[in-house]
Amino acid sequence: MSTAADGMITAGELAGRGPDPAGARRGRRRGQVNTGLVVGLVMTVTFLAIAALSLVWTPADPNAVAPADRLLPFGSPGHLIGTDALGRDIASALMIGARTSIVVAAGAALLGLVLGTVAGLTAASARPFVDETVMRGADILLSIPGVVFALVLAATVGAGVGSTVFALSVFFTPSFTRVVRAAALRVLGEDYVAAAQLYGRNRLFILARHVLPNIFSVLIVQFTLYFAVGILTEAGLSYLGVGVNRPDISWGMLLKEAQETVGVASPLAIWPGLAIVFAVLGLNLLGDGLRDVLDPRLRKRAS
Amino acid sequence: MLVFLARRFTFFVLALIASSILIFSLIRIAGGNVAAVMLGKAARPEAIDELMAELGLDRPLPVQYLDWVGGMLRGDLGTSFRTGESVTALLVDRLPVSVPLALGGMALALLVALPIGTYAATKAGSPIGTFVAMASQVGIAVPVFWAGVLLSLFFGVRLGWLPTGGWTPWSTSVSGAVQSLILPVTALGMVMAATLSRYTRTSVLDVMNEDYVRTARASGMTRGGALMRVGLRNASLPLVTVVGLLAAELIGGTVIIEEVFSLPGLARMILSSVSAREVIVVQSAVMVIVAFVMVVNLIVDVLYGVLDPRVRVAR
Repeated sequence: MSTAADGMITAGELAGRGPDPAGARRGRRRGQVNTGLVVGLVMTVTFLAIAALSLVWTPADPNAVAPADRLLPFGSPGHLIGTDALGRDIASALMIGARTSIVVAAGAALLGLVLGTVAGLTAASARPFVDETVMRGADILLSIPGVVFALVLAATVGAGVGSTVFALSVFFTPSFTRVVRAAALRVLGEDYVAAAQLYGRNRLFILARHVLPNIFSVLIVQFTLYFAVGILTEAGLSYLGVGVNRPDISWGMLLKEAQETVGVASPLAIWPGLAIVFAVLGLNLLGDGLRDVLDPRLRKRAS
Repeated sequence: MLVFLARRFTFFVLALIASSILIFSLIRIAGGNVAAVMLGKAARPEAIDELMAELGLDRPLPVQYLDWVGGMLRGDLGTSFRTGESVTALLVDRLPVSVPLALGGMALALLVALPIGTYAATKAGSPIGTFVAMASQVGIAVPVFWAGVLLSLFFGVRLGWLPTGGWTPWSTSVSGAVQSLILPVTALGMVMAATLSRYTRTSVLDVMNEDYVRTARASGMTRGGALMRVGLRNASLPLVTVVGLLAAELIGGTVIIEEVFSLPGLARMILSSVSAREVIVVQSAVMVIVAFVMVVNLIVDVLYGVLDPRVRVAR
């Protein structure tokens, strides 16, 4: 989904459009509250807090089988959201699922971000031949559908948290590379970079001292948005059975279990989906809101 | 234009070669031993070696790679170790499920997203414009498989209008095949429409503030007229790119939706071949998918050159 985001940037550049002065006209007045940002922040903090809470406390052991308590409805005493076909507590499973989402999705987004930043900065500052090679390589990686790649990888190397993180980060890296390169090129065209070059600063110094701090807001926004993509993709892979498996717990996996054991006509299939929508929506609102605040030049894309 | 086409096509060929090497090495390094899986856990090591030799898997990897690529260039995608069926035949079996699903999803997404996104852009700031923007923001957060589950819960289980899953082949009943595709296509299309309508809205909003639209308005065109005559062609540029990038997304969604509705498509074939360690089948099937995405991107780029003369010069 958000792979498309960097496409917009490339497209705008290709069409020869610079920062859009008209975008500023639509922009918010100073001091006006950005509703999306606030809502997104609240949702994301809730999501992170629930995951953190699961480290120290859950209502029950989500892997504890209790046949007597199977398929308890919503609101049952001791099992707030009910239990699954084996009597396992759903609320606990959802809490731990939040944690898995964070480990896998944020881990993959971070790994992709680091690799993409190195590649993107290299491409932006190196000779045209290196630039061309790196970017065409990114194009090739982008043509391999992430889900298919992860599926082959997970099934051959073995499913699990580690290989899912790896597969996702390989899938994220080319997108980050493109965004970082585009942002870095903008900074490299600034007068203060030319001044630093004339002063005799080397490439590495300029990249670390001038470029990196100036593209930091872009990195934060991209990280947030790909965190969300990671949650969706991880859920999809776990749903296919090639992502996270018990004793680890993931929302996608819970949905698959629900569908296998009791069919779709069950509230069991509703909860994990709602959890995914909540987390992803929160992160996307937060990411778009941050982009509004941190990088006014990109505001038009956030609308 | 000719230089642009030649450059773009050269990259296309290079990309195909590079990705074939990537796919081959990934699957061969991590792919496991098909002979060991075929003969079972109790097999003697010598028997496994014998079978490997018989299947041609004991040859050096570069030789096997060239053999595979050479075959593909002649239109031969290889044969399954287990059943001896040709991969082409296996694919031809599966494509009547996967292709209508993927294309139907894309078509539905475009049909829904382009008008809604454009409309939302013209109404930006009004309650209805805000509502559309919010709806697509929520839609983007919905995982495609959950959309499938909800649809089959409502239309399949509650109302009983459509099958909740399974597949009726085209040869048995055309209406049956269409019926088993309606819910999967809807799930895939609606989720993609959410993303696409957002980009449509942004892209139309961008051009509506451009000088040439203002000039067109000043020369007497109505707001709608200016948008139609000069705006949409410009707005279509970034959108064409997004559609190209969504091709990879589309394949991922198709894979997952086939699983939700138990459709015997390409995805299931890859899943079962992976677990049987049928390396040639996996390799060729993944290569076909990647080639498909690359062809879409090639078409997109050429279209780009046609729509925007500046691109031909820039590249």
